[in-house]
Amino acid sequence: MVQFSPEVVDTIIRAAALLGAGFAMIAGIGPGVGQGYAAGKAVESVARDPEARGNIITTMLLGQAVAESTGIYSLVIAIVLIFTI
Amino acid sequence: MVEFSPEVVDSIIRIASFIAAGTALIAGVGPGIGMGYAAGKATTAVRRQPEARGVIITTMLLGQIISGSTGIYSLVIAIFLVFSV
Amino acid sequence: MKNMDNPIKLQKEILKKTYLIALLPIVSALITGAMDVLLGFVFGLVISTLLLRLKYNNIRRALKMDEEKAEKFIRNRYFIEYAMYLIVLFTAARNQDLNFLAAAVGLFMMKFTVILWTILDLFKDSIQQKLESYK
Repeated sequence: MVQFSPEVVDTIIRAAALLGAGFAMIAGIGPGVGQGYAAGKAVESVARDPEARGNIITTMLLGQAVAESTGIYSLVIAIVLIFTI
Repeated sequence: MVEFSPEVVDSIIRIASFIAAGTALIAGVGPGIGMGYAAGKATTAVRRQPEARGVIITTMLLGQIISGSTGIYSLVIAIFLVFSV
Repeated sequence: MKNMDNPIKLQKEILKKTYLIALLPIVSALITGAMDVLLGFVFGLVISTLLLRLKYNNIRRALKMDEEKAEKFIRNRYFIEYAMYLIVLFTAARNQDLNFLAAAVGLFMMKFTVILWTILDLFKDSIQQKLESYK
């Protein structure tokens, strides 16, 4: 039976946590695509109805701000993985 | 009992952090795809309604300011991983 | 945001509001004497100001192209911008006089301002509507 010393176990856990922080940031793809899609649709509807531009741009900005939150979740998880484990 | 020398411990952690930093950079693809989609929609919108050009440019500018930031989150994590670990 | 029709006026408005909000961290860094935080923050702010102008020029050029060509153009330009962010953050991390986190916050400042001002405008509108409904 292979036995690891405590330092080896610590090293493996630390390395795994760092790798996990890197993988967590892949989640940044999602909000980027979604926010760009929202901007495209907003541009389309502004061209169709220029009178309602204020409402359309406000709605677009609020939707993008909300869509951003998944990116911030992954950022928080990555920071927690780097600095606490 | 398996034991590592301090250099082995250091190099395992450094290798893990470099792999993780490289993986985190993948997140920069997302905003690129989204912004490209928005730009395509904007060109067709300008063709259809040339007098709404100013509103279309402002909408795209606001969309780009907001959607570019998920990429910066992943960059921040990647540089943390490279420098502070 | 007030100037929805005119992109040049909108840029000036965004910059004014961003600097107005940025005064708070700058003054507090001056009072506490944290020079590396101040320098990093101003560095990020200056780079984001320049990149706003770059984004405007890119959009104006893309609007003259076909749909597929504009898509490719903006995508490639975003990757160039991403490389610039990488260089800026790398510099801030290597240089001892610049605080890395302050530079990152300086880069985010403009986006934060836009979202904050939109939410404030929304609140103002809803309060005005309520006041008018009472009359």
